[in-house]
Amino acid sequence: MFREIYAFEVRSGLRRPYPYVYFAILFVLTLLLGMAAAGVFSTTRTDSLTTVNSASAVARILLGTSSSIFGLMINVLLISTMATVIQKDYQYNIHPLFFTKPISKPGYFFGRFLGGMTLAVFILSGQLIGFWLGTLFGMGKPMMGPFLAMNFIQPFLVFTLPNILFLGVLFFSLTTYTRTTMAAYIVAIVLMVLQLASDTITGNIDNKMLAALLEPTGTQALQMVTQYWSPAERNLNLIPLTDALLYNRLLWMGISMLICAISYRGFAFSQFLQPLRLFGRKKRTEDAEAPPVIASLDQLPRVRQEFSQRASWRLTWWLTRFELRKMVTSVLFIIMCLLGVGFMILVVRFMDLMYESSTYMVTYKIVESVEGSTILFMLIFIIFYAGTSLWRDRETRMHELTGVTPVNNGALFFSKLMAFTLASMLMQSVGAVTGMLIQLYNGFTDIDFFQYLVMILRNAAIGVVFVAWALSLQVYSTNKYLGFFLTLVPVIILPIVLGIFEVGSPLLDFNSTGDSMPYSDMNGYGGSFLQWPFYRLYWFSLSAFLIVLALLLYPRGKEASIRARWKLSQSVRNNRPLLLMVVFLTMALASGGFIYYQTRVLVDDTKPKDRERDMAALEKRFVKYKDMPQPRIVSVSLEVDIFPGNKTLRIAGGYMLKNNTTTRIDTLYIDYRSGKKSPYHYPVMKPSTPATVVVDDVDHGIRLYKLKQPILPGDSIKFDFEMKYIPNGLFARMSSPIVDNGTFINSSLLPTIGYNEGAELSQNRARKEYGLKPKERMPRIDDSAALMRNYISSDADWIRFEATVSTEVGQRAIAPGYLVKDWKKGDRHYFQYKMDSPILHFFSFLSADYSLRKDRWNDVAIEIWYQKGHEYNIDRMIASIKKSLDYYTKHFGPYQHRQVRILEFPRYSSFAQSFPNTIPFSEAIGFITKVEDKEDAIDVPFYITAHEVAHQWWAHQVIGGNVQGSVLMSETMSQYSALMVMQQEYGKEAMKKFLKYEMDRYLMGRTAEWRGEMPLMLVENQQYIHYNKGSVVMYALQDFLGEETLNGAIRTYLNKTKFSGPPYTNARDFVAHIRAVTPDSLQYLVTDLFERITIYENYVKALDYKRLPDSSYQVTLTVGSAKFYSDSLGKQKKADVNDYMDVAIFTKKQDGTKTKESPLIVQRIRMDKPEKTFTWNVKSKPHSAGIDPYLKLIDRTPSNNSCNFGEKPVIPDLSAGGGMPAIMLNMGKKE
Amino acid sequence: MNLIIRDLVKTYTNGVKALNQINLTLEKGMFGLLGPNGAGKSTLMRTIATLQDPDSGSITLGDIDVIAQKQEVRKVLGYLPQDFGFYPKVSGVELLNHFAILKGISDKKERKEIVDALLQQTNLFEDRKRNVSEYSGGMRQRFGIAQALLGNPKLIIVDEPTAGLDPMERNRFHNILSEIGEQVIVILSTHIVDDVRTLCNRMVVMNHGTILLEGTPSEAVASVQGRIWRKAVDKSEMAEYRHRLPVISHHVSEGRMVMHVMSDDRPEEGFEPVDATLEDVYFSTITQK
Repeated sequence: MFREIYAFEVRSGLRRPYPYVYFAILFVLTLLLGMAAAGVFSTTRTDSLTTVNSASAVARILLGTSSSIFGLMINVLLISTMATVIQKDYQYNIHPLFFTKPISKPGYFFGRFLGGMTLAVFILSGQLIGFWLGTLFGMGKPMMGPFLAMNFIQPFLVFTLPNILFLGVLFFSLTTYTRTTMAAYIVAIVLMVLQLASDTITGNIDNKMLAALLEPTGTQALQMVTQYWSPAERNLNLIPLTDALLYNRLLWMGISMLICAISYRGFAFSQFLQPLRLFGRKKRTEDAEAPPVIASLDQLPRVRQEFSQRASWRLTWWLTRFELRKMVTSVLFIIMCLLGVGFMILVVRFMDLMYESSTYMVTYKIVESVEGSTILFMLIFIIFYAGTSLWRDRETRMHELTGVTPVNNGALFFSKLMAFTLASMLMQSVGAVTGMLIQLYNGFTDIDFFQYLVMILRNAAIGVVFVAWALSLQVYSTNKYLGFFLTLVPVIILPIVLGIFEVGSPLLDFNSTGDSMPYSDMNGYGGSFLQWPFYRLYWFSLSAFLIVLALLLYPRGKEASIRARWKLSQSVRNNRPLLLMVVFLTMALASGGFIYYQTRVLVDDTKPKDRERDMAALEKRFVKYKDMPQPRIVSVSLEVDIFPGNKTLRIAGGYMLKNNTTTRIDTLYIDYRSGKKSPYHYPVMKPSTPATVVVDDVDHGIRLYKLKQPILPGDSIKFDFEMKYIPNGLFARMSSPIVDNGTFINSSLLPTIGYNEGAELSQNRARKEYGLKPKERMPRIDDSAALMRNYISSDADWIRFEATVSTEVGQRAIAPGYLVKDWKKGDRHYFQYKMDSPILHFFSFLSADYSLRKDRWNDVAIEIWYQKGHEYNIDRMIASIKKSLDYYTKHFGPYQHRQVRILEFPRYSSFAQSFPNTIPFSEAIGFITKVEDKEDAIDVPFYITAHEVAHQWWAHQVIGGNVQGSVLMSETMSQYSALMVMQQEYGKEAMKKFLKYEMDRYLMGRTAEWRGEMPLMLVENQQYIHYNKGSVVMYALQDFLGEETLNGAIRTYLNKTKFSGPPYTNARDFVAHIRAVTPDSLQYLVTDLFERITIYENYVKALDYKRLPDSSYQVTLTVGSAKFYSDSLGKQKKADVNDYMDVAIFTKKQDGTKTKESPLIVQRIRMDKPEKTFTWNVKSKPHSAGIDPYLKLIDRTPSNNSCNFGEKPVIPDLSAGGGMPAIMLNMGKKE
Repeated sequence: MNLIIRDLVKTYTNGVKALNQINLTLEKGMFGLLGPNGAGKSTLMRTIATLQDPDSGSITLGDIDVIAQKQEVRKVLGYLPQDFGFYPKVSGVELLNHFAILKGISDKKERKEIVDALLQQTNLFEDRKRNVSEYSGGMRQRFGIAQALLGNPKLIIVDEPTAGLDPMERNRFHNILSEIGEQVIVILSTHIVDDVRTLCNRMVVMNHGTILLEGTPSEAVASVQGRIWRKAVDKSEMAEYRHRLPVISHHVSEGRMVMHVMSDDRPEEGFEPVDATLEDVYFSTITQK
């Protein structure tokens, strides 16, 4: 019985075209992805250490093409395959025929379900087969590992199959129970939202485990078990069915079984089962008085029928309201709104987190979160409901009734268009109100209603195009499902295909609004509305064209085929629609042409691949000048004129160039900012001595001068230039470095001297393609030629600097140095700055309408230039500056300037950067960060300020050569300095959380390495090493050596190297100074920390305590330690442990209202054996214990260093290869 | 105002000839359209109702060219299709109001009057606030008639309106229909011969897209009067009779097969003459080749 029902289901499914169509869609999509990964397409090449056919890569593809918006597609597909296997019998009303046959309930139920599931597995296997075939194209290429069947099959078995089971059984049960697929669709959308939310909430480190368990597809769980995998592990390991992933899979398989069992029990094998009714019938009250019964129809009231234009508008408006009422009371609309609201409430807390600190709920941030959630829901609503709305008449079989009414297609179509637009505005408004409530709830009352209004209108203008397309495409198609699919083409499929082929065209980017700037309190909308009207006009015109065509093809009456509908409309067609179509097409061409002219003709539109080829050609042509002796910039004097009004810039000035070499220099190599159709122009560019231009490559901005009189060793010449930046056309004004309020530009705009290695192709795969030799990421640490340059500027050492900066009256222009004088002339305000000590060739110019807060620290003036309204953290910044100056002057050496200035700039970038006595600081970080009033909250503005102030020593006093490891003396040392200031301010305990984040980021960062991980001393500008690992390493070092000892070594090093070079110092010199103060017993530690990639696996093996008669406690603790050295690919080798580390016991202490862990014993021990047992007597009741509990050493499983008494410790895998972190399933654990 | 149909031809893509040179002239009154399933009745009605276009031929209603001026026809048309449904979750009064708006009745007061009056007239006033999708079959048909009567229709087309109704509902429906028939052109398509006999003053019989017979019901009956013979035989003999004689219909009665044969004279022994009915006309028309 079962076999026949099952086989019938499968057979009849396979006889229809849809399984093959679905299979083909998935197949082609993943085939393209596979081919792209295999490097089949002629696109730019990037280096990577990971292969694309490893099990984890395959798993990522399978999950990636089944989540978010793809997930929705897969869900629709599963619903149509699996959900309706029983419901269809009811739908076609043939269930009585089945139920009266002598078939068994399990046979029918499971036969149908498994039949559907078999089809679904067949369809989803398209993903696997497609990707497999795609990657086969790359066989033998370096990004390919060996082709192992298991790499493909295992992820399919671990993820795809259980997910089909779970989703399938869920949709099937819902649909069978409610007799409609609506519930299944809604659940599908809810699941998508949960998935998106789980992505966001993992921003908080403690939520990872929860998200990993609760996310049904296993994406988060996979992410968690592989989060610290090195490239080698990613390439070789299979998917480990352990820990979070195992529990996740078991949990959701279990839930699948449970749902299946419940729905089997609940399924009544009878035809009288009533569909579920959610709302009872309302009682109806009879109110109106019945009109009299008339004898003849003649006596019916007379009515007038009106068919004027005005009546037609009124009719359209009436229909709009009728349609709108249906929409907003539809389950889909309500669910979408609720989801939008729920999603916002859920994620808003986790947005823009920095070390767990959120920002103030400023309006633009909330508006962005409203847009981030509601646009997606609006889109889903439109796509689904457009089909429902348009085919409603036909589905309810009312189409013949409405078809013969004297209403024109225009009224029918436009009423739907308007209703959808209003509904989407309503959805946006719900989001806006939610946003305002969130703001108020968080105590933020300075709500900017204007931004909400702009958002609603702006999104309505986006929504209306979606609606027009969705409705029109539904009209063109012959049924609802084809319509859905057609609508997905521009929305999902086209962008993917264009992305794979690197075809970027502003005109193909569906419903694009052009480039826009995020809203900034400083600079408002930043000219976002420059391009907007043109893009809107373009899409409106295209939409209008489609609408007119749709009106002619409107499915009215009985005809279904497009041809018949076209013929049917012929009778009512006059020239007007055709004329309108021509008009709209012309408008689209005109606006599209203008956009094209602005974005492709006026500005350089070289494709990424061509740009790559061009870079290779440039290198081949000019690399011969690489070692040609060039003079060095020794002084810079500039006039900088900033014109915020018309977004132009003029920089005029000169360099003093000095021949520091021992040979005569007769050729001057200038590299200036230029390019095809460059907005940079150079009316003046000439050396002060007579010279002829021998090469001038304007397309690449390279000019070579032959000097009539060579520069003799020790001699100098001047080099003068005038540079103008004029945006090419209207659209380019938005990408101008000059903005209305809050310009921030730096010295990288200026011409440089000598061949620029930074312009070379850096990706070795690409270099190989053009026959170029592989390129090191950075010169070796001892490269003596490279040590003659510092890593910040290639053409200057320590320079003299002065600049006169002008801007429009009302703004203040700021440059490094001290203000000598300022004056106004016409509508311009001039500021003259002069620096009194040598600085690096690295400076910035800012201009904005600022507010100022002043303070002092001894003789140093403190100035915070900020946007009015952003006063939140200014006190913290000032305090941080003072504390930093205290610590750094005391421990490192004097501050070289008389001033520290922090200058706010718009949130187009979110960083702070240290220039001489000048610290530009983004409004996105620090200024609006909300420091929670919690004990363990990290004071982010305080930390960032301390870091940037430290750069005045680390970079602006000591600068390393342009070699490996030099960022150790700038970034790592600034991190260390800031850590020490923070520790002094907030205490040792407060460092724990910060260091935990740093460790996590390091371990995550190394998994994404594309070239090779380096030890800290040889770091090649790898942020996860010089910031995150650097923090952990330096903190451990000061803990082992003592803060004073370490600072002593640092001070010695600083005094020796400050303001010196060339030749510049390197990290080897720095480490040598540390070694000099390190006792012999700890020399191993310096080697491990700086010169090796060292990773520990410290763990608790067993712990217990017993209470002694004297009411003290005897604790036994067994801990273990293993140490690994990793190579640059992440391959680990086990090393002997003979190292110092901490062991500790903690108790729980009542501190006011909170309980806190506080140490009973902390002891530094030597782990001279892999495992050791300790016994202590303590006075209080112990709560937890561990080895290296403060995470001073880099540990591949930080979570098993401590364990609570009474819980069973998890013993990790101690082999070198399987670096699988064992994660304790210990969800209730408190920090 | 007359409805004149000339040389109407429609062939479907699958080759079925739904309309084959149809010529008709209809005046005020009830016009019956008889024919078996698939005769082309619905195609004809939908074509008149502007839902479909013919391949060739013309239809005029007064001075309106039905094929070219669809919008004009729709202003004076009431149509009740054979197969229709309603939006879910909309009450009767709401939906009728919706149709009234679609028909261009823009004055709110007038609209309410006509909607209420029609609901009363079709006996739906009590149930006007119930969802139409929950109406019984008869109520739905009456609601269908109510919406067809909105505005001031000059032409009303009803396609198999009484199929599936119980006898009482059917009578009620007939009463309404016959009253309408006094005012305007009403085209009633059906395969229930009785309906035509009781309601229509003119009729045609259609099969395979062709008009086989046209006239008044009494004329039609007169044309076969005296030529219909009846005999009851054993079931097993039936096939042989059908082979031999022009049997126009047969049905089971008390276990025996009763057949009607059309013949100018008594076909053979055992046949008795019967009073011809419209049913005999109908069967004789569609069985003759």
